[in-house]
Amino acid sequence: MTRIGTPASRVDGRAKVTGAAKYAAEFEAENLAYGAVVSSRVAKGRVVGIDLRDALGVEGVIDVLTHENRPRMARSKKAYEDDIAPGGAPFRPLYDDKILYNAQPVALVLAEDWETARYAASLVRVDYEQEAHVTELESQRDEAFDAKNSPKPRGNAEKAFAAADVQHEAEYWLPIEHHNPMEMHAATVIYEGKGKLTIYDKTQGVQNSQAYVASVFRLKQDDVRVISQFVGGAFGSGLRPQYHLPLAVLGALALKRSVRLVLTRQQMFTFGYRPGTIQRVALGAKSGGTLDAIMHDALAMTSQYEDFTEHVTNWSGALYKCANARYGHKLARLDLATPIDMRAPGGATGVYALECAMDELAVALKLDPLELRLRCYSDRDQNEGIPFSSKKLRECYRQGADAFGWDKRNGAPRSMRDGSELVGWGMATGIWEAMQQKASARIVLTANGHAEVACAFTDIGPGTYTMMAQVAADRLGLPLENVTVKLGDSTLPQAPVEGGSWTAASAGNAIALACEGVRTQLVRFARKVANSPLADAKPDDAALVDGRIVSKQDSSCSVSIPDAMRAANKERIEQEATAESNDDGKHARYTHSAIFAEVKIDEELRIVRVTRIVNAVAAGRIINPKTARSQILGGVVFGLGMALHEETQVDHRLGRIVNHNLAEYHVPANADVHDIEVIFVDEPDEIINPLGVKGVGEIGVVGTAAAIANAIWHATGIRVRDLPVTVDKILG
Amino acid sequence: MRGEIRILRRGEVVKLSGISPTLTLLDYLRLTERATGTKEGCAEGDCGACTVVLRRLRGERLVYEPVNACILFAGQVDGCEIITVEDLARDGTLHPVQQAMVDLHGSQCGFCTPGFVMALFALYHRADTRPVDRQRVNDWIAGNLCRCTGYRPIVDAALAACAETANDWFSTEEPDVRRTLGDLKDSEDIFIGTRERFFAAPASITALAKLYFSHPDATLVAGSTDVGLWVTKQLRDLPKMIWLGRVKGLEEIEDRRDAVSFGASVTLAEAMPYLAALDRDLGELTRRFAGTQVRMAATVGGNIANGSPIGDLPPALIALGATLGLQRGDRPRTLPLESYFLDYGKQDRAPGEFVRVVRIPKFGEGEHFRCYKISKRFDSDISAVMGAFKLRLDGTRIAGARIAFARIAFGGMAAIPKRARTTEKALIETYLDRPDTLEEAIEALAQDFSPIDDLRASAKYRLDAARALLRRALAEIGGASTRRTRVVGFREAADVAPA
Repeated sequence: MTRIGTPASRVDGRAKVTGAAKYAAEFEAENLAYGAVVSSRVAKGRVVGIDLRDALGVEGVIDVLTHENRPRMARSKKAYEDDIAPGGAPFRPLYDDKILYNAQPVALVLAEDWETARYAASLVRVDYEQEAHVTELESQRDEAFDAKNSPKPRGNAEKAFAAADVQHEAEYWLPIEHHNPMEMHAATVIYEGKGKLTIYDKTQGVQNSQAYVASVFRLKQDDVRVISQFVGGAFGSGLRPQYHLPLAVLGALALKRSVRLVLTRQQMFTFGYRPGTIQRVALGAKSGGTLDAIMHDALAMTSQYEDFTEHVTNWSGALYKCANARYGHKLARLDLATPIDMRAPGGATGVYALECAMDELAVALKLDPLELRLRCYSDRDQNEGIPFSSKKLRECYRQGADAFGWDKRNGAPRSMRDGSELVGWGMATGIWEAMQQKASARIVLTANGHAEVACAFTDIGPGTYTMMAQVAADRLGLPLENVTVKLGDSTLPQAPVEGGSWTAASAGNAIALACEGVRTQLVRFARKVANSPLADAKPDDAALVDGRIVSKQDSSCSVSIPDAMRAANKERIEQEATAESNDDGKHARYTHSAIFAEVKIDEELRIVRVTRIVNAVAAGRIINPKTARSQILGGVVFGLGMALHEETQVDHRLGRIVNHNLAEYHVPANADVHDIEVIFVDEPDEIINPLGVKGVGEIGVVGTAAAIANAIWHATGIRVRDLPVTVDKILG
Repeated sequence: MRGEIRILRRGEVVKLSGISPTLTLLDYLRLTERATGTKEGCAEGDCGACTVVLRRLRGERLVYEPVNACILFAGQVDGCEIITVEDLARDGTLHPVQQAMVDLHGSQCGFCTPGFVMALFALYHRADTRPVDRQRVNDWIAGNLCRCTGYRPIVDAALAACAETANDWFSTEEPDVRRTLGDLKDSEDIFIGTRERFFAAPASITALAKLYFSHPDATLVAGSTDVGLWVTKQLRDLPKMIWLGRVKGLEEIEDRRDAVSFGASVTLAEAMPYLAALDRDLGELTRRFAGTQVRMAATVGGNIANGSPIGDLPPALIALGATLGLQRGDRPRTLPLESYFLDYGKQDRAPGEFVRVVRIPKFGEGEHFRCYKISKRFDSDISAVMGAFKLRLDGTRIAGARIAFARIAFGGMAAIPKRARTTEKALIETYLDRPDTLEEAIEALAQDFSPIDDLRASAKYRLDAARALLRRALAEIGGASTRRTRVVGFREAADVAPA
């Protein structure tokens, strides 16, 4: 179970099932102080007074920090921009008296223990000067402005739409969603003295957090070490340094003590989220079922201080063949925190609208929805006018439909039943970018045949430890247990944030490249062995197999790694390599999927159960089918939540999120999940990167909500165009 | 009088004397013991990441109970052994449950994993039938949330681990543990703190009545699945806490020919088989009452006493004609359950008065019962609408029988769990085979209730659903197959596993 492509169990499994895996809030320090955040109670305005007397009077409270008494922080807005910051001026926690959104932090209580800090936080009294706020997206349609970087149009979509045989045009609504990883955001800041800090942070990017802290607090980059070896999920919430991090650092600097700060579940609703959107999709088609026009317009929300933009509409033109396409993306400023990428950002949003619209178009055309997709199939990315590096979507459709039994579908709504329940079958296509970011990896191979592979990426749960170990084991020809992985430490070789499904391609290719360097050295050493069977071997003539350097021409000619290293008098080989995307703009790079969903609905009570999902995925080479399958399963269930449950509700009178807990913000529970089948379609890709890897973190989400919404239409004949599809919306 | 609580932890008896009344078990573990394997995911009993297992004696039985440590106060584990995720592997060998979780990829980010492992560890030791089936696993882990795996790998791990009879080092040490826990049992009242700030656990009803009478401002706690949130979410300081868990007599279940009675500290998990035996729908209702961990701590009495408008049991118990026994000082009184709920957040309970017992009459001749729960998310969710129906029919034949008497109650339709008295009146003297007159009665629901729009459902949906539920109850009682009427499963096949 060491080679790429084998279903190895995760290497960090033991640590996780025994409780040994330590997360950000679990590191100890001498004389540790505990922080608790006080959140604003108004949505807009400024703080005019803070009464700390009661809080400070509680035994065990050390101090309460506010914008008035905090230690120095950088003034320039630029200093707060992290790697992932969108345009605008980032939020500066406790910087000044301004209130930019409801529940933003306004004070930090520091106490000797957590219970005291939590209680004292309830005693801090803040007076505000309130201003009128706006939190409702729809009310801002006319105020919205054009986002930058909308994809370029082609043809004349308006004209083609007007002239089309069949037209479909509708609006699709998505609510705000919150990531809600199981672990709350937290940081333990170890105050090392002499200006040095070691920070255990919940983050998707240790070097991003490191640079941010150094910049905001004017510290030397090398004096700030950020560690995040285990992350209890994030799904995007940890892409940017969230306010828990600067506040914990503020506390440590103020007290000159180590500080731990853990947000509450409620406070997990006080920073980034998937933005609510209103999308208009207009499709014009020939009666034969090919597309003449696609127009996709999105209205999304952002904060008052940053312009958060995701790719929402471009998928429409990339997925289907259509000569005329036009896109629009507008942003509306609301008095809410800035949104942040959430699993399949933009894709989950835009493809939901597109794929529901395609379903509606199929109905208008009296075509099977799968047949419509096949007729609109495109072998080129028409947005860019280039071919795909690989695209086995047709195969996804075929294998998915076969496994699901799609050919037995009766196209008419309300035509299928099971006892008292209406049965609906729906499908959708999924698409996501296959990206690779610049990253470095270091291999240290010791003479005993043990390798350590290191890279600063974090593992937020997908199995990065396992993937890294597996690629190294494969390329070095070692058993998996001989490889140890170091990650999640800012002192390790450079890596970007973990996100965008790019980790496997980015870290994987860097590791493979470093392994090549190791092999080159080993071949050189092997030549030095007395009577070496590889005396004339050039680096590319040999491979590393089962702990040996083996001739490619004649596998009987080999030298063991220990022998080779002994001959060169080496105890260890250290090799670092940096891999970058080879994208020269000549090929479009995407993963694809086909999702088929079955729902059963109680006809009177409208209770929906998603009884079956088949998701067939084409994602290049799969490094580990076990971890990859789990990524798709988890993604599908994320999509299920999007379809049926997830919705952050804002009381617009107060500008405040009201269902800020797991009792009222529903993520799918076990009983919501029935049969899910994951199929990986074979998709060799020699163009995309040397490993042929595309990544699977997001693709499972994309399209799933549409497939379910389409199935609900098929079951009931009722088309719900705003998610989530709750019981009252399908009451008719 | 004892001034400390005693727990069994990793083979040692640990005595805690200086604890604050509001110290949660989770904070004790993570902050005092520094045993951080147990996680906090929500601090309100919704996610199960903090699940630990209490091994304890219930009467003569040694049981393994998974509970949410985040909303359990440390004092409430007196007399129990606390088992956490760090304790399962021994000498480098993983417990079968842990091994299955690794092999079948039941862990991704790992944050919910300790909670799942502990829930499954308890199932491993409690499963009375082997192999454990999927339904049993699904019910068992309804109170554990996972955001990464999509759950399937965890269910597979549970099925694999629980395929064989429990045989681990915990089984081997049971005789010793039974002895140690037996030695910890005593009949002392516990009082930790001062008159102004204390955690108390009286051991008798007399002691409870006396203590509460002199401290009517104290907070009574049974399972703390509600009060726990006052502390962790509302950040309230509760200086005086009286726990009912040690009061002799309150743990009693009295199963008589005409009625079943639950003392105020009987947990939902303990009550479940009795409720299921009373009626299958009650069993189904309790199965969907929160998750396993909550049912292990929460009590029948607490679900009533806290007066929630959407508690799941009160509507069912009101329809069944339950009565409530209360006591203040040495003065007991009894009242019909529906009279206890006065208005939103207001109950008929005097200062210093406590719920002592709930008595549920069994069915008389010709009596039929149905109840249904509708929630936004199927499992582990608060009811949007909860309807309960009890009818008495004249004569022996069901087909075409005349309704002689009806008691109907709903949750989620008003500020309190409430009877539908107009509808009840309209149903009396109607015939089950006369749909037109039944529909008239069903329409009367609109006179009984003016539900509101909220996060869980719209007013229109609530009223429509209430009508549909009554219609279903009448159809089913009238003999229709439940294949067309059940919210889930079929009543004929309803199978409620004991806790």
